[in-house]
Amino acid sequence: MKHIIEGAVGIVLAIALHAFLGQLSAQLLVVFNAFSWVVLYFGLTRHEVFGAIMGTVCGLLQDSFSLGVFGVGGLTKTLLGFGAGYISRKINVTPVSRSFVLALVMAALELLLWKSLALFLFGEGFATAGGLIFLQPLFTALAVTAVFQVNRRREARRS
Amino acid sequence: MKEKKRFLLLLGLVFVHLLLISIQVPKGNESSYFERAVFSVFSPIEHGVVSFFRGLKNFSRNYFYFRDVQRQNQSLRDEAFRLHQENLALKNLLLKFQGAEEIRNLLSTVSQSILVASVIGIDSSQIHKSIHLNKGSADGVRKDMVVLDRKGRLVGRVVEPVTAGESRVQLITDEDSGVGVLTERYRVVGILQGDAEGKCRLKYIVKTNREVTVDEEVLTSGLDGVYPSGLPLGRIISVVEDTDLFKKIIVQPYFDLSDLDQVAVFTADLRDLS
Repeated sequence: MKHIIEGAVGIVLAIALHAFLGQLSAQLLVVFNAFSWVVLYFGLTRHEVFGAIMGTVCGLLQDSFSLGVFGVGGLTKTLLGFGAGYISRKINVTPVSRSFVLALVMAALELLLWKSLALFLFGEGFATAGGLIFLQPLFTALAVTAVFQVNRRREARRS
Repeated sequence: MKEKKRFLLLLGLVFVHLLLISIQVPKGNESSYFERAVFSVFSPIEHGVVSFFRGLKNFSRNYFYFRDVQRQNQSLRDEAFRLHQENLALKNLLLKFQGAEEIRNLLSTVSQSILVASVIGIDSSQIHKSIHLNKGSADGVRKDMVVLDRKGRLVGRVVEPVTAGESRVQLITDEDSGVGVLTERYRVVGILQGDAEGKCRLKYIVKTNREVTVDEEVLTSGLDGVYPSGLPLGRIISVVEDTDLFKKIIVQPYFDLSDLDQVAVFTADLRDLS
């Protein structure tokens, strides 16, 4: 039950952050993908099943806030959540460098898969917003690593 | 949970997504019931966050600028007076061309059909594709209604899903958007399509046509059956000829996404008025 509440809070926070960033500047939405942050974070902390479910919910949510093909974001984020969760269960991702590299690789793969599907299957152009989109994996990795490490240290101090 | 079961769950979820995609693809931009349901449930959160954020912003602005209120009030009064005079002058000018009754009816219809809406969200996948408004079917918003910015320049049209309190607008900069247009000076007709990067392409202007030049204004032609004629859209910023049959013409739209906090939705069919 605790995990479900945490997941729901994560989803509401992602929507709130998405709306807040959009009010500040449209370009910020290209660089900061709050839905990916939530999926990666839960993938790293709660592993593949929870990561995949969060990926499905956040991805479909992102799709519903977009005019693109409904389901593409859901598919890529499900794979992102599952992949991050699976790897984090197989290797120790507690060191900062490891969690950062894993988050960076997973975020880059998700972006690549999402853009490839849009480009090759649905004939959409490869919109880069002046190259800003290439910064998305880096900022996703930085944000997820920061939250992951802060939370991990807080829990370690508590126990 | 065993590893095999985990992979089975993943396969199930992937299958569900592929099913959703295959349902969506033949529908194009039309949203499915499921998408509408997800949008209806979660868009109020977006609406609430933006309202809260704007409330805070307005509060701080009001507090810090309180001392300037009197000066601002005077300047707004002057502006209102100037606009009132301009309005009267334009009405008088119009009367020379059309009957008084006809003009009165036209102006009354136009003023009654303007619905001011706030932008509460931007497309989560591609920022130049769509925006979300804080007005929906309960406010009279319907599919294909025309949306303009503060200065009366075309932004796009309302598309599905339209919920009771929120709606979605397809921007003219979206790749899947098509607007029938003509150039201001020589009335060269073409189709304007978004390039997904914030600009538009004016298509189907043959290379032999010498009448399209840089810096010319582009207006809606009304030939697409959606937008009324004569709405300003943007300005031509580049005309390139290569081996293709058609010219490559880039149009910079007038509306600015970063300055698009309020828009006007026309609840009446403007094509009937033009």
